[in-house]
Amino acid sequence: MKIYGSKELVEDVISRDMCIGCGACNFLCPYFRPYRGKVAMLFPCDLDKGRCWAYCPKAEVDLEELSKIFYGKAYEGDPLGSYEEIRISRAGPRMMAKGDFQAGGTVSSIVSLALKKGYISSAVLTDRKGILPVPRIVTRPEEVLECSTSKYTAAPTLSAFNQAVKDGYRNIGVVGTPCQVLAVAQMRTNPMEDEGFEDPTGLVLGLFCTWALDYRAFEEFITSRVDVSSIRKVDIPPPPAEIMEVYTDGGAKMEIPLDEVRKLVPETCTYCTDMTSEFADISVGVLEGRPDMNTLIIRTQRGKDIVDEAIKEGYLVVEEMPKKNLEHLRWAAGNKKKRALVKARDAGIVNTSDGKRSLLRLAPKTLEAIIA
Amino acid sequence: MSNLMDNRKGRQHLLMGNEAIARGALEAGVKVAAGYPGTPSSEIVESLSRVAKEANMYVEWSANEKVAMEVAAAASFAGLRSMCTMKQNGVNVASDFLLHLAGSGTRAGMVIVPCDDPGALSSINEGESRYFARLVEIPLIEPGDFQEAKDMTKWAYELSEEIRNVVMLRSVTRMSHASGNVRFDTLPRDNVKAMFKFDGFILDQMEGLVISAPVDYKHAQQQEKIKKAREIFEECPFNTYTGPDRPELLVITSSACNLYAKEAIEILGLEDRVGLLKLGTTWPLPPNLMKKYLSMTDRVMVIEEVLPFLEENVKVIAAEMASDIGIKRFYGKNDATLPMVGELNPDIVVSGMSRVMGIDYKPVPDDYAQKAQLYATTKSPNRELTFCPGCPHRASFWSIHNAIELDGRKGFVCGDIGCYTMALLPCGFSTLKTVHAMGSGTGLASGFGKLGQFGFDQPVLAVSGDSTFFHTTIPALINAIHNRSNLTLVVLDNSGTAMTGFQPHPGLEKNAMGEEVPAIDIAGVCRAMGARVEVRDPFDLEETRNTLNELMEDEKGVKVLVLRQMCALSPEKKAKKRYEMSIDEEICIGENCGCDRVCTRVFRCPGLVWDKERKVTRIDEVICTGCGVCADICPAGAIKRKEV
Ligand SMILES: Cc1cc2nc3c(=O)[nH]c(=O)nc-3n(C[C@H](O)[C@H](O)[C@H](O)COP(=O)(O)OP(=O)(O)OC[C@H]3O[C@@H](n4cnc5c(N)ncnc54)[C@H](O)[C@@H]3O)c2cc1C
Ligand code: SF4
Ligand code: SF4
Repeated sequence: MKIYGSKELVEDVISRDMCIGCGACNFLCPYFRPYRGKVAMLFPCDLDKGRCWAYCPKAEVDLEELSKIFYGKAYEGDPLGSYEEIRISRAGPRMMAKGDFQAGGTVSSIVSLALKKGYISSAVLTDRKGILPVPRIVTRPEEVLECSTSKYTAAPTLSAFNQAVKDGYRNIGVVGTPCQVLAVAQMRTNPMEDEGFEDPTGLVLGLFCTWALDYRAFEEFITSRVDVSSIRKVDIPPPPAEIMEVYTDGGAKMEIPLDEVRKLVPETCTYCTDMTSEFADISVGVLEGRPDMNTLIIRTQRGKDIVDEAIKEGYLVVEEMPKKNLEHLRWAAGNKKKRALVKARDAGIVNTSDGKRSLLRLAPKTLEAIIA
Repeated sequence: MSNLMDNRKGRQHLLMGNEAIARGALEAGVKVAAGYPGTPSSEIVESLSRVAKEANMYVEWSANEKVAMEVAAAASFAGLRSMCTMKQNGVNVASDFLLHLAGSGTRAGMVIVPCDDPGALSSINEGESRYFARLVEIPLIEPGDFQEAKDMTKWAYELSEEIRNVVMLRSVTRMSHASGNVRFDTLPRDNVKAMFKFDGFILDQMEGLVISAPVDYKHAQQQEKIKKAREIFEECPFNTYTGPDRPELLVITSSACNLYAKEAIEILGLEDRVGLLKLGTTWPLPPNLMKKYLSMTDRVMVIEEVLPFLEENVKVIAAEMASDIGIKRFYGKNDATLPMVGELNPDIVVSGMSRVMGIDYKPVPDDYAQKAQLYATTKSPNRELTFCPGCPHRASFWSIHNAIELDGRKGFVCGDIGCYTMALLPCGFSTLKTVHAMGSGTGLASGFGKLGQFGFDQPVLAVSGDSTFFHTTIPALINAIHNRSNLTLVVLDNSGTAMTGFQPHPGLEKNAMGEEVPAIDIAGVCRAMGARVEVRDPFDLEETRNTLNELMEDEKGVKVLVLRQMCALSPEKKAKKRYEMSIDEEICIGENCGCDRVCTRVFRCPGLVWDKERKVTRIDEVICTGCGVCADICPAGAIKRKEV
């Protein structure tokens, strides 16, 4: 695959508002920086090839190649990607009552265990300051709890990942949305063919995601409705609720119709084909009808080892995935994939030829099958 | 002891034009001199400040040109000879007072000295001060060499006292900054007492009120003064003619162009065919003198800088006396014999004159331009305009630029006048988007910051130097605060008027004569006016940038960030390194992904050098001032600083 540089990144992604602000291009060099939900290029760089381009999940993502590298097979377009097992789970007795989790606390539990048991040296998580998501490198299990709960705006989490790598961390654990997990997957393939490259990750934990909100738009929206400093948690309960719940100090809860919130979703999310972080070791989402549980997808051996250990150590409790839930999950994930690919095809940014750059590449017949 | 106080008559000294003007003032017994620093005028007040004690003078750098002129005028009103200096556009600043001063008239001799900058060698305009003399109806004189610079200055005081009005003596860069031999007269021994008289008859200029009203009376009186000046000019020894009695062409010129015209006549061997009328008194023109020389020939060429001021005045006078002297053919700016922008030089004058005289002359060989280009690009070191090594402005604009880019709402900076005007260029990361007069950055920002009701949502910033702050930023800032404009003013406080050579300003504890004076605290002034004020060290890049972003996001009114760090060239700092800098070549990323030479390609402090062969950055220890800022921009931590 041909690698381009920052000029093309700006041209194809940033200036076309395709940037989700995942942070993958941030702090690799002195030029790309995150700031309040946006990525800025401070000065032009004149190199033809760069990691910024190579890592970006919105520029030339070759799903075939990634699938081959991580799963040893062609990309088949399964709505849930490639996986070993699907379960439902929640924090085990060793974790319960410790913190405020988004749902079952699966993510925080697994990360805590992995840190404690030395599967990972550090974890790149997403804390918050007010409503601003703030990437953080943590090394102690207690710090994991400080970063729990979902921030529904896109976050430059991977800027902290890049800093962790630069600071010399190896076996890094990282929790991210599907776009972030896709960027991490591209990093792990060493696209720039750097000598002496080692995969810096110890665990990639992916979240489910239908969309994330544009930070600046959300800030404007929410500050006109509540005192931002009093917000304790934001939740989007599983369907059919169709609301965003904002919990404030003193236990008050405000409900905002999801339709209003959807207006704040950046265009780039509508091109995203991945709902379940298909290139993670483990993927976690909510579970319809059971707010205290998570959906858990185990995709790799390394993921499975950690989950097994977490169960054994009382960090995690798992149950069988109800068939109805699985069907619905497939349906929702398939829908997202199809919609995004139709849109990308219509925009002429998938599988382009004649030297034109693409958003995505996958086998033409797979594309046909998904869209059909 | 300074040359300037040499009291031996007839002694010669090599003096810069500005020093010659200062000596002329000393020989005239000037007691008070005030000015605002501005190239090419600054050395006049500077020279006088150095001998102020010895000469029993009061010399000051004023807050701005208008105040300088007022300070000088007060001396005149109190019976002391005075001088006021400024660069060309300073006259614009002072012009409101000048109009009224010309109307009220002066008492003891008063001379204002604007030094124009044709070609804008150190300006962003090539404004003409001469038009002001005509506009406000005061006499204008222009020395044509260094001796005249001294002699005419001295004479200007006699003229001023003769007509009891202010006289303008105009210089230009090539007159002010070049040097020549000047023969001295003696210095006066005087013992004047200052006293402002006001008890006399109300209309008595010398003992009554000093005002420009009643206007009809005063204006008529002023015009009588100008008539008198014209009569005096008829006999003025500074108007000279050289050449044949019946030249084919009469060249009329003044100031530094006199030197170019002389040279051109010589180069073209036209001594017998061309006459040269060098005018020292350029407004109002003396009619009889003009008639005498205009009668000599039918062809007239006017050589001057920049606009056709003299040319127009000569044409008017020639038209008025056309029935006596006949119709003339004119060459000059209006017919494009000479260019109407930029500085003249002997080459330009020679080619213009040769065309007028029908002489085939090539001032430069055909391939000159080509060769010059070749030498310029291959032989001379690449010297682009840039901030000095260790300059706080580079650090300040780095942070301002980055804050604006991060903010991402298309914020912009209204620039102002000082070294930092260079931030229009890549050396300041092309941060400034407008630059006009002093103080205008904040005035423009005040206006931009009120456009919210029309959907304007860009963050507005302005910059102002410390000296500029006192000069004219304050009224604009008051305007912005009072009218609830939304802007961030960054005061680049480098503790001096660095651009023009560290003249003191009201923010400092020493005045022009080295005396202790109270310093005005910029942050305190802004706070008292009601602005939100922060003070930072621009060498702390992260803190500065953070603060700027915070201020830009605070949309409630006027925010001021004072960035305080002494100029790298300031006398206190010079040659004192804070850090010893070095490069860890092992970890320098250089041209690779991850850096792409941010230090030598973007930040570009002259102390950092890219070693092309070895592909690493080096520190040029001779040039590096040890400010340590580059250590914070290197993504690899390859630039090391060690405290010294
Ligand atoms: C923007 C967004 C959209 C989501 N959309 C869906 C969806 O449509 N369907 C669904 O089933 N689940 C969705 N989720 C996942 C869900 O909200 C929970 O994160 C997940 O179920 C894990 O729950 P938990 O109790 O284990 O999390 P916790 O134990 O509370 O841990 C949450 C973890 O998420 C990380 N995190 C928080 N915000 C962000 C962020 N903005 N970017 C990256 N990482 C972050 C934190 O580092 C923390 O480790 C979304 C999450 C996010 C952040
Ligand atoms: S890597 Fe992430 S932050 Fe950078 S341009 Fe791509 S989407 Fe935006
Ligand atoms: S900024 Fe640092 S890494 Fe980059 S070229 Fe300069 S010294 Fe080397």
